Amino acid sequence: MVLPAQDEVRRGRIPAHIYNDRDIFLLERERIFGRAWIFVAHESEIPAAGDYVVRRVVDDSFIVVRDEAGAVRVHFNMCLHRGMQICRAEVGNASHFRCPYHGWSYRNDGRLVGLPFHQDAYGGDAGLARDEHRLLPAPRVESYNGLIFVSLDPAAPSLRDYLGSFTFYLDYYTRQSSGGVELSGPQRWRIKANWKIAAENFAGDMYHTPHTHRSVVDIGLFRETTPERRKEGCTYWAGCGGGTTYRLPAGGLEERLAYVGYPEEMVSRMKETWTSRQQDVIGRDGFIVSAASVFPNLSFVHNWPRDPGAETVTPFISLRVWQPVSEAETEVLSWFAVDALAPAEFKARSYAAYLHCFGSSGMFEQDDVENWASITAMAAGSMARRLTLNSRMGLLNDDTDLTAPLPPERFGGPGVARPGYSEYNQRELLGRWASYLAPAAAATP
Amino acid sequence: MTADPRRPLAFDDRRHLEAQAWLIDEAYLLDDRRYEEWLATLADDVRYVMPVTLTRALDSDPGSYPEMAHYDEDKHSLSLRVARFRTQYAWAEDPPSRQRHFVTNVRTFETDSAEDIFVESAVLLFRSRGDVSEPSLLSARRADTLRRADGGWLLRSRLIRVDESVLRTQNLAVFL
Repeated sequence: MVLPAQDEVRRGRIPAHIYNDRDIFLLERERIFGRAWIFVAHESEIPAAGDYVVRRVVDDSFIVVRDEAGAVRVHFNMCLHRGMQICRAEVGNASHFRCPYHGWSYRNDGRLVGLPFHQDAYGGDAGLARDEHRLLPAPRVESYNGLIFVSLDPAAPSLRDYLGSFTFYLDYYTRQSSGGVELSGPQRWRIKANWKIAAENFAGDMYHTPHTHRSVVDIGLFRETTPERRKEGCTYWAGCGGGTTYRLPAGGLEERLAYVGYPEEMVSRMKETWTSRQQDVIGRDGFIVSAASVFPNLSFVHNWPRDPGAETVTPFISLRVWQPVSEAETEVLSWFAVDALAPAEFKARSYAAYLHCFGSSGMFEQDDVENWASITAMAAGSMARRLTLNSRMGLLNDDTDLTAPLPPERFGGPGVARPGYSEYNQRELLGRWASYLAPAAAATP
Repeated sequence: MTADPRRPLAFDDRRHLEAQAWLIDEAYLLDDRRYEEWLATLADDVRYVMPVTLTRALDSDPGSYPEMAHYDEDKHSLSLRVARFRTQYAWAEDPPSRQRHFVTNVRTFETDSAEDIFVESAVLLFRSRGDVSEPSLLSARRADTLRRADGGWLLRSRLIRVDESVLRTQNLAVFL
């Protein structure tokens, strides 16, 4: 198999077949999902001892559980004896997990504690020492703002190093107060689309908003009456992720956060929690985060539709994982996220706003998926192998920039920010994808 | 098993027959995307909820999240969804899916209110998009409350218990 040339991908010349290609998918599974940090759950989903959720990294099923001492553990969901899937519920609370096949039992911290007929069948600990056996842990488990990631690569860099300066932007979504964020859900559904298309879209595609999402503007769900407003925002790429922003009307931090619908008490907690630099991106520079992606398959969205029959708006946040099933199918896990200290009344409004816009029934999301499934279907055949897609927006023919990056006095956040429509972020994401696929990178442990 | 405390209506009870006819008429409205006429069959204070179904152990609480649903709608939000379908930019259903709502296993119960009856049904939605895409199926149990209105019934509430925890349809640009 010929891998896509990294320099061509970084120049925005994308071979169309990468969106539906079995060989590429098998390499992605090994070299990306076997090495990168992958989001599996948030700590708010498992608040009490014994709470667990079962999540996957491509084909590998993991139990993400809080043990009796309060530590988060991530166990490979396979019995040490004959390989049965131990936990077959997707969410619950358990002090122990017992294999249905022969009854081996494990404490929720992973330790093997029970074997039927241990003395008769094994000669007790002389044949099989229980305290030397535990469920296979995920090679690496680390968290940021309660977001639990795993890496299947024991030699992976720390999560903080991996995320890099994107943590600056993660705080807008997941740390609006000292209470942090709490997640509801996820809704789960499967779409006949390649996972990369979704990650690219959330990373930087402001250009699709005026057309794909015209319907939600036409029905008045958004206060802005012209979808073209989107080009006044900027995109940014920092560390291992990037995203899009909206440009806010004139005003200071308080006025601008009020403009997108945050009540005063939440704004005052944001001021206590965010650094002055984080506050400046909104209050001084006038940009507020919207969609974003962390390589490879975690995305965020922040938007503020109108309240029913009113001129006021309510913001909502969603996290989503684009879980690869195959080269042509993706499972979407979509959570509603809200600041844990937000007033109950705000949480209820924000949840309704989320449901109307995103998720399995969301009026934005419906139209996105239609496009992504169509791209995936078109990418399967022989003609797609002859077509190089144009992902060069923002580059002139001689590869120089159409628009200069915003200087620090106009955009105070880390990374590189660019005004208006462009595909820099999609190229960053796919450039990173191409580097991971390259054999040289795969050779490093 | 304890006996069902609700008071079932006989299958030849006029209210049962009317409820069954109501569900069949509704299925045709939804199949044909006659959504404005469908909205007119909903009470102004309708509540339309489709929880997220969960796979849980046998001895656990019933399988859905208390704070997350696929649909959690009132008449205003359902009207917005319908209005969106009528714009020129609702790609999710352009070209439209062929939909067939199969409704069966209907049973009805009296409630404490003389104006309301409780209606349970099973629904299977077959959905075909495009010319060669694989069709999708959605199977669900519905629990409805119908309220007597001038010459007929209005839907006062609907709880849709979908049978999959991971939906195998690309979006819910459809109603059950």
